[in-house]
Amino acid sequence: MAAQQVGPRNATWLLGLPGAAAVIIFVIVPYINIAVMSFRVSSPSRAYDPGFTLDNYARTLGDPLYLGVLWDTVSLAVIVAVVSLVLGFPVAFFLARTRSRWQSLLYALVLSPLLVGVVIRSFGWIVLLANNGVINQLLGMVGIGPLGLMYNRLGVTIGLVHVFLPFMILPIMNAVQSIDPRFEEAARTLGASERRAFFRVVLPLSMPGIQSGAILVFVLAASAYVVPELLGGGRVMTTPTFVMQQLLGTFLWPFGAALALVLSATTLILIWLFTLLTKPVMRGLT
Amino acid sequence: MSRVIIRRLTKAYDSVTAVTGVDLEVAEGEFVSILGPSGCGKTTTLRCVAGLEIPTGGRILFGDTEVTALPPERRSIGMVFQNYALFPHLTVRRNIAFGLEMRGVRGAKAARRVADVMEMVQLPGMAHRYPRQLSGGQQQRVALARALVVEPSVLLLDEPLANLDAKLRDEMRFFIRSLQKRVGITTLYVTHDQAEAMTMSDRIVVMFDGTIHQIGTPEEIYHRPADRQVAEFIGSSNLIAGRVAEVREGYVTLETAVGMIVCRAGHRPAAGEQAMALIRPEAAELSREANAGSFAGRIVACHFLGNLIDYDIVLGDDTTHRVQTLGETLYAVGDEIAVSVPEEKAWLLSK
Amino acid sequence: MRRFPLWLLVFVALVYVFLLTPIVVVVATSVNAGYYLAFPPSGFSLRWYAAFFNSPSFMTALVLSLEVAGVAAFFAALIGTPAAMAYVRSRGPFREPFRLLLLSPLVLPEILTAIALLFFFNLFFSGLRSLVPLVIGHTVLIVPFVFLTVTSALYNMPAQVDEAARTLGATPGRVFFRVTLPLIKSGIIAGTMLAFIISFDNVTMSLLLKAIGTSTLPIQLFDYLRLDFDPTAAAAASISVVFTLGIVVIIDRMFGLRALRF
Ligand SMILES: Nc1ncnc2c1ncn2[C@@H]1O[C@H](COP(=O)(O)OP(=O)(O)OP(=O)(O)O)[C@@H](O)[C@H]1O
Ligand SMILES: [Mg+2]
Repeated sequence: MAAQQVGPRNATWLLGLPGAAAVIIFVIVPYINIAVMSFRVSSPSRAYDPGFTLDNYARTLGDPLYLGVLWDTVSLAVIVAVVSLVLGFPVAFFLARTRSRWQSLLYALVLSPLLVGVVIRSFGWIVLLANNGVINQLLGMVGIGPLGLMYNRLGVTIGLVHVFLPFMILPIMNAVQSIDPRFEEAARTLGASERRAFFRVVLPLSMPGIQSGAILVFVLAASAYVVPELLGGGRVMTTPTFVMQQLLGTFLWPFGAALALVLSATTLILIWLFTLLTKPVMRGLT
Repeated sequence: MSRVIIRRLTKAYDSVTAVTGVDLEVAEGEFVSILGPSGCGKTTTLRCVAGLEIPTGGRILFGDTEVTALPPERRSIGMVFQNYALFPHLTVRRNIAFGLEMRGVRGAKAARRVADVMEMVQLPGMAHRYPRQLSGGQQQRVALARALVVEPSVLLLDEPLANLDAKLRDEMRFFIRSLQKRVGITTLYVTHDQAEAMTMSDRIVVMFDGTIHQIGTPEEIYHRPADRQVAEFIGSSNLIAGRVAEVREGYVTLETAVGMIVCRAGHRPAAGEQAMALIRPEAAELSREANAGSFAGRIVACHFLGNLIDYDIVLGDDTTHRVQTLGETLYAVGDEIAVSVPEEKAWLLSK
Repeated sequence: MRRFPLWLLVFVALVYVFLLTPIVVVVATSVNAGYYLAFPPSGFSLRWYAAFFNSPSFMTALVLSLEVAGVAAFFAALIGTPAAMAYVRSRGPFREPFRLLLLSPLVLPEILTAIALLFFFNLFFSGLRSLVPLVIGHTVLIVPFVFLTVTSALYNMPAQVDEAARTLGATPGRVFFRVTLPLIKSGIIAGTMLAFIISFDNVTMSLLLKAIGTSTLPIQLFDYLRLDFDPTAAAAASISVVFTLGIVVIIDRMFGLRALRF
């Protein structure tokens, strides 16, 4: 067993010290710092002016422009999560249940886009979706277009779904794999059609996977920077791109910090609401 | 070889106390089994002896040396785990040589010791295989060899036969026992299988709920159990309740609903006390005619077990009991018969 | 009984097309003779690869990426492996909080972590003039991957072999080097390779923490795509894809992809 019971002389916890120290110093402390920073007075000429203020939050929450961006970001992330679920569930189900000898290759193919950088994948989409890109050229041959597929929300949505789809597929696949196929068989012997067995047994039992996949994709999409920047071409503003603009363009650090924290707080609240709403279906499953 | 002395051993985990006040002495070269139902603290006791757990209270001595606070690698033990815990990345030979290497024994000397011990456990030609290429029984032998090669002073085994099939288990019982006798090593053996404990041990320790209920030879445990729990855990037992009518030296007469039963007793109860007679199924005798001291019964079921016939018998007080006889089936269901118990074959248990 | 209805198989195939097309397209662009990927393609050429290898800025970026990913993966393995052992092997009230702590860089939004680190280094270490912030940022970002893979390797270790080694006279140190390490080696290597890939592909953290005037390969690509589009970027991207897939194939051949658990 993993449980080592060599009591008081067991000092294995010491092994955790370097890791814990690294994360505390380089993640936790910086987060505390940024939280403090968001209450500082913004200054155009240096990091911040002396004193503390709530101005940054007031400006953030009182600014219709930023609230608009926040709404756009959150709604975009929700759409991305829903589309990923619709596309990802069948694939996850297939991967979990197939006995094909290609199974491990198919699994690797889901995994590998994850390991190819976001920039490269966005690049692929630029080549495909641009006004003179592959898709518009093909459409042109049959006399359609060119359609505006990129530098708008559509392009960003496509890119984000592509980038985060594996994060939906993998948890659902794990969940479906852990469902004993005999549950379905039992449902069939009890008179359920294949469809009903699926909707009454498999789907409810894969809820934990769906839940974690949805949360993961939502969070990742809401905080994505590269894809909106590249496929939005500056015309689709999301909180991360907006924050980066504030930070890198105007150097208003305290204001940027407040913006970023408001986005994170919003996503946390939404995740909390989501888990609350899905609680009834999760009963007894986790 | 050395004696193992366990004094008032107690081990508590966060929420449960697994072992309470265990006292036990294992003599040099003795084979002692710890027997008891699942969760009674057998493994915990053994792991404390091995040094894999630190006792909450009590002491453990090997001979005159206190080892309570010594880590396992400084205790000179050999341990065989239930799942063998062979190192999957090492060949059989290197698995066996591991303990020697840890003691700085290398080269030709180590090779000779490994070869000797492999011969001893009858594992010819397996030296270069990996554990996963061996059958369960072979893995078992490697585990034994690995534990024995360092010539430990104490051998500890935790249900080493639990993963083998019935036939192999029988074979390995005798193999381990004869090996132990040959090497003469002090051995502590944990099992929940009473047949195993009976056939292998010099003495058996019976545990329930973290405490020892009885320590004795297999015969003592079987014929003279210390209490009702031990009696019911070992073999099958018929218990007939009654009141002590007469106390003689070593014998007690019990007045029961079915008649008077004379029992042997390990203690002197007061007359009038409530007590119980333990009668093993093979201790009772059946006949068609009543004789002095026999009680009347009726056969309600009869099972043919091959070497034995197993009868369920209802006595006068409407309780059902089990009697086994050798030979042929002489009685049929529904037969009225007489049951008699020779006086040295019943055992008195206090209530 | 057929296992899957036809429509499901078609749907799954289409999703795979969706997943893989952009990557295929990048590679196609890189070997296309023309400036744009036109249909029909205007011919095969390796000129963009030549351009890539002759571009000092791409070469510097490639080297920097390899350096940063290598160093960060090394440090991540160095602290992630013992951390996983501490988590698996110890008991007590701090066990789960410790795991959460180690996984937090994975769970927290990367952009926020990057911004927080940027402020942190600027305030406390006055600026970004060396590679240190970049390496630290990458290291904390990829530690969770080593931690997760090694944790699962430790859980998959056969039961009690370490205890068996103790009873045979091995000290805890020797148990680690003679028994534990050989058994979790594949997990450590796979986790470190994965961590390397993640670092090698990273944009957000690098963008904020790189020293002024330097750039990693993904950042170089990022700038190319934003500013002047040129198939040299496709060659760079393809090389990076092949490199990544190469590592994935190695991991798969050596340990099976299931060694990567996250
Ligand atoms: N690491 C532990 N943490 C908490 N409780 C434990 C631990 N190990 C054992 N226990 C508890 O201690 C008691 C005794 O366990 P032990 O393993 O000694 O039983 P056992 O007699 O060997 O049983 P079995 O025959 O099933 O192996 C049990 O109630 C068990 O749940
Ligand atoms: Mg046990």
